[in-house]
Amino acid sequence: MRSLRREPALLLALLAVAALVLTFIVYPQLQVVLTPGPGGYVQFLQEGTWLVPLRNSIQLTLLSTTTAVLLGFVYAYAMVYSNMRWKPFFRLIGILPLLSPPFVVAAAYTLLFGARGVISYGVFGQSPNIYGLNGVWGVQTIAFFPFAYQLIADALSRSDPRMEQAARNLGAGSWRVFWTVTLPLSRPGLGAAILTTAIYILEDFGNPQLIGGVFYVLPTQAYSLISSFGEYTSAAAVSTILLLLALGLYLAKVRLDGGRSFVTISGRASSMPRPPVSAAVSRACFVACLGLAGVILLVYGSLVVSALTLRFPNNLQFTTEHFQYVLSGTNGDALRNTLVFSGVAAAISAVFALFAGWLVQRGQWPGRRALDLLLILPAAIPGIFFGLGYLVAFNQRWLDFVDRGWLIVIAFVFWNIPVGYQAAVAGLRQIDRSIDEAATSLGASSLRGFREVILPMLGGSLRVGFVTTFVRAVTTLSLVIFLFTPPTTVATIRIYQLVGDLNWGAATAYTVADIGLAIVALLIFAVLARGRIALGAARA
Amino acid sequence: MPETAHVRVSHVTKRFGGVTAVDDVSFEVPKGSFATLLGPSGCGKTTTLRMIAGFYDPDQGDIEIGGRRVNDLPVHRRGTAMVFQDYALFPHMTVRDNVAYGLKVAHVSGADRTRRVDETLAFVGLGGLGDRWPNQLSGGQQQRVAVARALVIQPQVLLLDEPLSNLDAKLREQLRVEMRVLQRRLGMTFVYVTHDQEEALSLSDWIAVMNAGRVEQAGAPWDIYYRPRTAFLADFVGSVNLVPAKVLDVRDDEVTIALGSQQASVRRPEGVALTAGQEVKLCLRPESFTIGRDSGNPTGGRGGIELTGTIVRRAFLGDTMRYWVKVDDREWIVDQPDPGGSATLDGPVSLSLRPDRVHVIAEEHVAR
Repeated sequence: MRSLRREPALLLALLAVAALVLTFIVYPQLQVVLTPGPGGYVQFLQEGTWLVPLRNSIQLTLLSTTTAVLLGFVYAYAMVYSNMRWKPFFRLIGILPLLSPPFVVAAAYTLLFGARGVISYGVFGQSPNIYGLNGVWGVQTIAFFPFAYQLIADALSRSDPRMEQAARNLGAGSWRVFWTVTLPLSRPGLGAAILTTAIYILEDFGNPQLIGGVFYVLPTQAYSLISSFGEYTSAAAVSTILLLLALGLYLAKVRLDGGRSFVTISGRASSMPRPPVSAAVSRACFVACLGLAGVILLVYGSLVVSALTLRFPNNLQFTTEHFQYVLSGTNGDALRNTLVFSGVAAAISAVFALFAGWLVQRGQWPGRRALDLLLILPAAIPGIFFGLGYLVAFNQRWLDFVDRGWLIVIAFVFWNIPVGYQAAVAGLRQIDRSIDEAATSLGASSLRGFREVILPMLGGSLRVGFVTTFVRAVTTLSLVIFLFTPPTTVATIRIYQLVGDLNWGAATAYTVADIGLAIVALLIFAVLARGRIALGAARA
Repeated sequence: MPETAHVRVSHVTKRFGGVTAVDDVSFEVPKGSFATLLGPSGCGKTTTLRMIAGFYDPDQGDIEIGGRRVNDLPVHRRGTAMVFQDYALFPHMTVRDNVAYGLKVAHVSGADRTRRVDETLAFVGLGGLGDRWPNQLSGGQQQRVAVARALVIQPQVLLLDEPLSNLDAKLREQLRVEMRVLQRRLGMTFVYVTHDQEEALSLSDWIAVMNAGRVEQAGAPWDIYYRPRTAFLADFVGSVNLVPAKVLDVRDDEVTIALGSQQASVRRPEGVALTAGQEVKLCLRPESFTIGRDSGNPTGGRGGIELTGTIVRRAFLGDTMRYWVKVDDREWIVDQPDPGGSATLDGPVSLSLRPDRVHVIAEEHVAR
């Protein structure tokens, strides 16, 4: 505190950060929670319409998380432990889903297995009803196992190979080492990975919205209450229930993260290789990964084929018609909006998160724990809730002079703050405090030391924050579903609308264009950053 | 203590949670002197140094630099520069940019800046390495960059936090000499923190030995080594035989003590109240003994201590041979200098100690 009084500029900067966080993270969320009022909540709870979506959400999250984590675990184990072939290929395939909106899996699923699906109808001549619990469960499994894979692989690869070498040296076989050393050591990391996957699935809006049918979960219920009935009070109450669930999962995850003391997170990579697994295990891993990669390729392949043919799957004549449609007029504008909004938001979010991370990690002032919590909080807030908050708080007449695009940009910035913030804190942990102190002891003020010494050393964190925020912004549907206006439509909204119109050619072309743009943007960024980019632990 | 105190620490206390890291510490460092805070880890020496630098705020007490109270000044306005234990070189800047950083902050212009950087690099023996990156330097070179970076801004006081502790023994000894020469040439006030008593003894004009947050004793290295006031000090600084004894008689500058069945008259420590019958400890340095084959007849000087015993163990340390000699039921540590010049001893030996080599520590200082 004394150090802040001695440096007024630092105090001012801190107050500014706190004010922004309060305005754009705390205030809108409070608006949602407070919208129904005590009477509203009582009435809402008595009506009981929330019971079914709540039960559905819990059931679906349990089912989809279990299957997604199982598949993700197999993929992760194969990638981290086996000596199978084609690892770079599998790694690439594993990243692809992270760059696309999760709900495109639902679109591909409809194309492949729907009433007139390529496989269901074309191969088996069946017209199954894919809507409902089973459909969403299957789709979410496929959509989210790559996320589970990334998180689990991250947790597994943090375990120290030396421990495993030591266990092998003491006479344990590879299977025994895995069960008695690796797994216990990475249990907190694995637990956190599972809970994070569960949060993604719980918050997923696109897949249940597209193929849930009458199977409502909390996010889709909240959306339909507003879009169909203009029921803000009930929607806010439903969203609040969703928020509580997500917060519960998130708090459990944070507890596990805190217990991650077994695994060494030192800056230097251990040069020791992991002990080899048997050839048979490697072969089994290869077959499993081939199958899973095949599913992913099937999803994206069908999208590409559909985008490039006249009327998939009945008329497979090649055409660029869909792409021309996608790139023209308002469709092109939406694509451009996505790129501009996401790029601007990613840059602002990464820099702001870095500065806030520095203030919190290095500061010694009362309330830093509170600010720390607030900066991580959005990771636990479902996009649908966050978007609703901005709608309630900022969709005001007196704010009409502000371009509505900014509302989306700011929502992107603050919803994604935890990504950059956690990257910054991790980066700062690698930089000894004495580096900051050296700068000030040589005559630089704290802020100057941050700008000239610390910031240039945090390039890695900055890139993680930028890239991950960008990708999340490009792929989110739930956050913007309440915020877009016709001139500020973004790609995910257009895809969602086109799927709703059953305009499959355009929808898939749009999806391919969106993913392609994201990839191109990332490649350009990678070139600018001389190849040193990394995607933060999947999504948060 | 000379009257021109450059750094004055008055009744400074610092707590971290429930732990009192620094407990009512006061001392003064004269201008142009090499002052060392010495103590085991956790004694509060680094905390004290960091309070002088401004990284920590004292909970109580004042810190003055050059006669000016600096408690309310931020780090970057105190006129101190710090050399860190891990050097804290900026890894993304070359050696030259590291050294130039403080000058850049102080708006020293281009040509002047270049000249001063070059001069300082040459001064610490790193001329020609300015374009290297920190990770391309050896530990010793990095340490010199850290010193150069701090020196170049000509601070009023240079603060050094265990700057040699990450180096190997040989290099440490070499840089110790350089450090002392450097300080003499610049006439700059150095406040140096170390846990290495040998380093402290060889470098300092003045040493404050700290323990458990307090200054146990402060003074010239000689006094700290030969006239420690407490058993902790005697034990912390160098090897020592601490032997219980009893005061028989106290005169002007002499004390007669009983050690077992022997009596000896030894120097009376200054500023310590001693009374006949009091239990004390004798502080006997291993190198103060004369050791020889037990010839049966005592050889030592009058009033000193004469003992006979048996060698139980020995260790060859290069410059000395260290013996553990059993006398009655107690083991004594005795060093024989230049072991190459005499035969290695074994079996029964005689030990003798001149009276001025015996230092009396009064028990009340021991118990705290």
